[in-house]
Amino acid sequence: MLTLSDMRTENGKAYVLLMPSLILAVMFSFYPLVKSVAGSFLTISQQGEVRGFAGLMNYISLFSDPAFPASIRHTLLFILMFLPLNTALTLLAAILTRRKTRWGGIAEYIFFMPMAVSLSSLSLIFREMFRGRVSVINQILDTDIAWLDSPGTALLVLAFLGVFLDFGIDYILLLSSFRRIDRNILEAAALDGAGNLRTLISIELPEIRTMLSVTVFLAAKDALLISAPVMILTQGGPFRSTETIMYYYYLEAFRSGNRGAESTITTLITIIAVIIMAMIASRRKNDWKNI
Amino acid sequence: MTGRIFEKAVLILLAVVIIFPVLYALSASFFSPVDFTDSHAHLLPSSPDFSNYSMALSNRYYPRFIANSLITSLLLAALRTVISVLAAFAFTHLRFRGSRTVMIILLTTMFIPPDALLYPNYSTIASLGLLDTYAAIILPSVFSASSLLLLTGAFSSSDRDVYMASKIDGAGDFQYIVRILVPMAGSFVIAVFLQTFITGFSSYLWPLLVTSRMSMRTVQVGISMLGFAEAGEYGAQFAAIIMITLPFLILLGVLRKRIVDILSSGGMET
Repeated sequence: MLTLSDMRTENGKAYVLLMPSLILAVMFSFYPLVKSVAGSFLTISQQGEVRGFAGLMNYISLFSDPAFPASIRHTLLFILMFLPLNTALTLLAAILTRRKTRWGGIAEYIFFMPMAVSLSSLSLIFREMFRGRVSVINQILDTDIAWLDSPGTALLVLAFLGVFLDFGIDYILLLSSFRRIDRNILEAAALDGAGNLRTLISIELPEIRTMLSVTVFLAAKDALLISAPVMILTQGGPFRSTETIMYYYYLEAFRSGNRGAESTITTLITIIAVIIMAMIASRRKNDWKNI
Repeated sequence: MTGRIFEKAVLILLAVVIIFPVLYALSASFFSPVDFTDSHAHLLPSSPDFSNYSMALSNRYYPRFIANSLITSLLLAALRTVISVLAAFAFTHLRFRGSRTVMIILLTTMFIPPDALLYPNYSTIASLGLLDTYAAIILPSVFSASSLLLLTGAFSSSDRDVYMASKIDGAGDFQYIVRILVPMAGSFVIAVFLQTFITGFSSYLWPLLVTSRMSMRTVQVGISMLGFAEAGEYGAQFAAIIMITLPFLILLGVLRKRIVDILSSGGMET
C-alpha cells in the first residue's frame, strides 16, 4: 500500500523522532566507552593530551599498584558475602509471602519499603546504626564490636547495606514470578496430596528458577560496581580494607587524575559487566523476542 | 501446625529486620543530641524532640537542595518520557530503513554500565561548560534503553488501523500520539515517568561529581553537607532524611498493589 514517496517521508520522520535518543546514546554511552578503550592503550597526560601509544603499559602499571589487586580482592570478598545473603533473604521473603493472605499485604509493603529509601539516606542511617561501640546494633545483639573500625566487619556491614539497596526490586521480581505460576498446577498438586513444602520444592521453585537467576546476576552486577555506599559509609577504610574496584576507580580518576588507570578500569569493568548482562539477556529471551 | 507457626515467626523476624533501618531513622529523628552521645545506645528518644524537624527546615540549604532535586528529577522524567514515547512510536508505527539496526544500537546501551563511564562523561560535561548546571545532572541519564523497550512493547499492541484511520481523518502524528497512543498505554507511560522520577531523585554519585556549588547540590548529595553531624545535631540529619523518604513510602503504599498485579500478570518486566 505504501508508495515510494510515503516510504521516503516515513524514513525522514522516523529518524527525526529517533534523533534525541540516538544522540544521547552515542554521546553518553558509546563515545565515552570507545574513548576509554582507546585511552587504555595510549599514554595520556593529566590534561588529556595524547602523548603516544602505550601498548599494554596502562594495564601493567594498573596491576602493579598493589592497591588495585587489593580492590579486586575486596570486591570479590564483598560479592561473596553479599550475594548469598541477598539471594537467601529475598527468596525467603518471596516464599513466605507468595500466597495472598489477610495480613500478607502488610508484610509485602514492608519488603517493598527499602526501595523508597535512597542510597545516601540508607548509608547515613547505617553509619549511625553501626557507629562506634555504643551502637544500637550492639545494644540489640548484645555485642561489643566496633563494626566500622575493623576490616572484616566493615565489609560485612557494607554487604548488609547492599542487601537493603537491592532487596526491594529483587523481592518484587521474585514475588511476581511466584504469583505468575499457573494456579491449576498448584491446585492439582494439592489434590494429589502434595504438602506445602513439597509443592514449593518440586513445582514452584523450578518455575521461578529463571527469574531467580536473573536477580542473582542483577545483584552480581550491582555488587561489582559498588562505590557510592563505600564513599558514605567507610571512605574505603579502615586501612583501605573496603576499597572496592569502583571506589579505587573514583580515587584514581577524580582525586589523582590518573588517566591510564581510569580508562583501563572502565575497559575491564565494562567487559565483565557486558558478560553478566549478556547472561541476564539470554535468560530473558522471551522479553527480547518481540523487538 | 507447628510448621505454620514457625513460618509466621520467620516472616515476622525478617519483616522486623527489613523495616528496622526506617523505624530507627524515624525514632532517631526525635532524638535530642544527648541521646546520640549517651553511654548506652537509644532505641527510642528519651523525650520526643520535635525541634529536629524545624531545625532541618530552617537550614539555609535544605529547602534549596530539595528544590534542586525536584526540578532535576521532574525535568529528567519529562524528557525521558517524551523521547522514549517518540522513539517507541517510530519503532512501532513507522516503516523505515535500518529500523532493526537502530533498535539494536539503542538497546546495546543497556549492556554498558553508566557507573563505569563516570570520568569520560564528566569530562564531556566539563568541556561543554555545563558543570554546576541542571543540564549536567540530567543529560547523561535522559536516554534509557529499558524505558524505550517498555514503551515499544506497550505501543506494539496498538491497533494500526486506528493509526491509519486517524491519518485519513487528517490528524497529524503528534495529535495521534497525544490523543490516542499515550492515553491507550497510559499506565506504561506513567510507569516510565514515575520510575525515572524516583531514580532521578535518589541518584547520588553523578550529581556529586558534576556539582560543586552548594546552591546546585541535590538533596541526596547535600544531606550529609548540612552541617548537622558536625554540630552534633544528628537528630536534624535524621529529620531531613525522614522528610525526603516519607513521600516515597506513601507513594509506594499507594502503588504497591498495582505494581504487583501488573508484574504478576506478566505484562511487563523491569
